[in-house]
Amino acid sequence: MSIRRVPTALLVVYTLLLALGLGLGSAYWAINGAPPFGSLQLGPWQAWPKLGAPEADPYMRAIIARRSDVPLATGEGMGFTASTDNDGRPLDSACSYSIGPVAPIARVWTLTLYDQGGRLPATELGRSSFTSAEVLRDAQDRFSIALSRNVQPGNWLQLPAGGSFTVALRLYDPPGAAGANLEVSDMPVIQQLECGA
Amino acid sequence: MRGFGRFLIATLCGLVIAVGIHIAAILTSPYLADQDAFSKVQATLTADKAQIVSAPGGANTWLPNPDPAAAVATCAFDLRNGPMRVATRAGSLPLSFSFHKETGGVFFAVTDRAAVRGELEIVAMTPRQLDEARAAEDENAPSRDVRIVAPELQGFVIVRVVAPAPSLRPQAEEMAKAVSCTAEQDA
Repeated sequence: MSIRRVPTALLVVYTLLLALGLGLGSAYWAINGAPPFGSLQLGPWQAWPKLGAPEADPYMRAIIARRSDVPLATGEGMGFTASTDNDGRPLDSACSYSIGPVAPIARVWTLTLYDQGGRLPATELGRSSFTSAEVLRDAQDRFSIALSRNVQPGNWLQLPAGGSFTVALRLYDPPGAAGANLEVSDMPVIQQLECGA
Repeated sequence: MRGFGRFLIATLCGLVIAVGIHIAAILTSPYLADQDAFSKVQATLTADKAQIVSAPGGANTWLPNPDPAAAVATCAFDLRNGPMRVATRAGSLPLSFSFHKETGGVFFAVTDRAAVRGELEIVAMTPRQLDEARAAEDENAPSRDVRIVAPELQGFVIVRVVAPAPSLRPQAEEMAKAVSCTAEQDA
């Protein structure tokens, strides 16, 4: 009887350690990632419309607290991010891209590049974003923003020296229920032009 | 074989408890976080004007993924000091307020489209303060305040002003800094 009691105690310790390790480990992994539920995917653009709403789920709250982030509130605007092009290939600074020709209706929108660490890339150009008021448009009110390492005519944003990057599209004060009636065709297309060089 | 069965039961118990720990950790982490946005803006509790968190340009800020076209300013509030009045004059640049709870999460947001005669003014209060304000109100001269009920005693207001062009960035920063946040003693 006394021989069998030792393994029981060991099993209890094993159970608790397993529970602690898995429980805390999975929670840590979850709050360092993207919110698992409630995402809105429009082509390469991803958004969490509930992130800035009172009904944000517990994962979103935990992730906001972890990032010390202040998301755009519902009614204030909506933020989309893209880390792939329209064909699903990850965005890479070694390639060049074009973004356009349309963007959703909003009072102002801004399109910003971030490097791997979520910082604004430090480039020779010294510019990492375009707003809807700055961007040059053609006669049909369409625009095209070129992303590349090397100088391009028109709307050009210089990519960081290396690694992957992400693009954020923020809609400030969009009309109606933000994001509820957006479709893929309203979002700008991210097209990969060439790689290498 | 019996030893293996006991091991299996212990593993299953561990998995069930792990699910509980996972849920508890996710639910409590906004309350325990000491690096969240509220902890960082708490120093602005006593200020009368909104304090810049992220100036346009996006340099020198703790905000992740700052928008270089937007000026972000904040004031923290503690409703134990009385209702919080946030007011500004709307200008030509898009301006918005969002009200955040201490534990993260937005409870109210408004843009300058809601401004009345160029003034955007919001009073955040507890349900009790709202009752008191209603009771103290003169029936012939009802208050025109826009009152919102805060779900928690503490929180912060985020002011965003967007500069559509780089030359408007200093103006956006001035507009964000001009927002006043005052605790009302007598409301």
